[in-house]
Amino acid sequence: MLSRLAYTFRETGASLRRNITLTVAAILTSAVSLFLVGGTFLVQRGFDNLLSKWAGGVQMIVYVSPTATPDQIANIKSALESSPTVVDVGKLEYLNFEQSLAEAKRLLAADPTTFRLLNEANLPTEFKVVPKAGQLNVLVQLANGFAEVPKVQKVVLARDQVEQISKLRDFVQTVTVGLSVLLLVGALILIWTTIRTAMFARRREIEVMKLVGATNWFIRIPFMLEGLIQGLIGALMSCGFLLFFNRLWTNGVVKLKGDNGFIALVVSDSFLNLVMLLVVLFGMAAGAIASGVAASRFLDV
Amino acid sequence: MAISMCSWRVTSSIAAARKSDLRGPSGTARFWCLRAAETYVFHFRGARLIRLENVTKIYNSEVTALRDATFDVAKGEFVFLVGASGSGKSTLLRMMNRQESPEKGAVWVAGRNINEMPDSKVPHLRRNIGNIFQDYKLLLNKTVHENVAFALEVIGRPKHVIRQQVPAVLDLVGLNGKEDRFPHQLSGGEQQRVSIARAFVNRPLILLADEPTGNLDPATGEGIMRLLDRINKTGTTVVMATHDQRIVNMMRKRVIQMDRGIIVRDQARGVYE
Repeated sequence: MLSRLAYTFRETGASLRRNITLTVAAILTSAVSLFLVGGTFLVQRGFDNLLSKWAGGVQMIVYVSPTATPDQIANIKSALESSPTVVDVGKLEYLNFEQSLAEAKRLLAADPTTFRLLNEANLPTEFKVVPKAGQLNVLVQLANGFAEVPKVQKVVLARDQVEQISKLRDFVQTVTVGLSVLLLVGALILIWTTIRTAMFARRREIEVMKLVGATNWFIRIPFMLEGLIQGLIGALMSCGFLLFFNRLWTNGVVKLKGDNGFIALVVSDSFLNLVMLLVVLFGMAAGAIASGVAASRFLDV
Repeated sequence: MAISMCSWRVTSSIAAARKSDLRGPSGTARFWCLRAAETYVFHFRGARLIRLENVTKIYNSEVTALRDATFDVAKGEFVFLVGASGSGKSTLLRMMNRQESPEKGAVWVAGRNINEMPDSKVPHLRRNIGNIFQDYKLLLNKTVHENVAFALEVIGRPKHVIRQQVPAVLDLVGLNGKEDRFPHQLSGGEQQRVSIARAFVNRPLILLADEPTGNLDPATGEGIMRLLDRINKTGTTVVMATHDQRIVNMMRKRVIQMDRGIIVRDQARGVYE
């Protein structure tokens, strides 16, 4: 068993060295493509964060002053419920302090200092309002009226923010997904070619191995390991890119401070780590499988 | 687990084959109660190790390399396949370790129809068949010792077995003291000896030799033949394709003559003609 392992690693190492140019090309391509795959996830998550408070068809948010008493909150609620033809009362949702804080935590992932300053005395609670079908325009007209109700801090309409952002998100998503798929195909083709070249360089050895009765798996595994290592190095490089660009992005977004809510475009570290882990696993699996298939393709029994 | 069981079955049938042969026809290997072993015993009462039955091979649906070839090779036999280039000698050899499969007919080795054998068992079949070629097929970046050890290494033999068997087989082929040379530092005859050592190191039942003396001068070729004869006397069946008239006439073994894919002569203690 040990001698088999030693054999596998020796062969893999020799093969990687022998094909150095193709190996580097395969690694770089997979690094860039995996970076784009990971980047797609991050951008997606950023936009989702930004739009999350509008999820579920919410078109209007009524922020309630933290100083409002339960009576006053009930008062605001009944004001909203007084127009059942416009407001979908069944979907009317009130986020109390804890729920608002949970939402703020997600939106302020990039700005923990601000988040820590939030407390019951300064964080507004909120009503999320979903209009009845076709009643959006009426709701918009009513918005100013709700702003007059006592202890309503602010009324925000989705229309002002969401549409532009959604369009931007769709555009960015199409571009990154398209590019990453293209590059991924390129990376796989390069890994395939590397393995084919490696097998061609060792065709006599493979012929001898088959004739003396080595199993196909025994022949295939060093090549699969080679693909796996290429995928792994590419993935690790892409993780470096992801860390670097995420930091750059976070710093840039944090500088945009203000009430624009763009701070939500930043993703949490735990999500970044998850994406990096997925990228590494995916890179390794794709490399190993592509080279395994390539090896089988050229291993006629 | 299932795979290792199967491989054990194949090997055990061949091991059974050896035992029963040692004990002669009366001492059948009933002890090996596995089906594979029983099949073997059934076929090997007459010590028939290889059987070709009406084998026809057609390349690209037009070139007929073999037509209706039928013959048996007994265990321990030495058989020459002779004939002009393109007469089908190499194709016949390649049939016997399933590098090729026939369009029609069947090839039996050690009691098993190897054309019906699943791909996963082919490696285990080949561990019992050594191959020698005109161009030696040595690995040029490996030493003599490494070339021979390689054959054991890739079938997962443990290190201590390799350390023990490689020097023994190098001794047998007369390459003592040349273990650390590379193929380019050896003469043609010595390179062929390395390739014979590699083919024989795993003590196969069968040795298939495709023009092993084709690249060698007559004297060196004779040396190789003496070596193959010695190996044959240890009980290994040798099937050798050649068009070296002198060697065939010198050895006086069984001769199967091929002409454009057809067996035209099968003669015990024959000459080339």
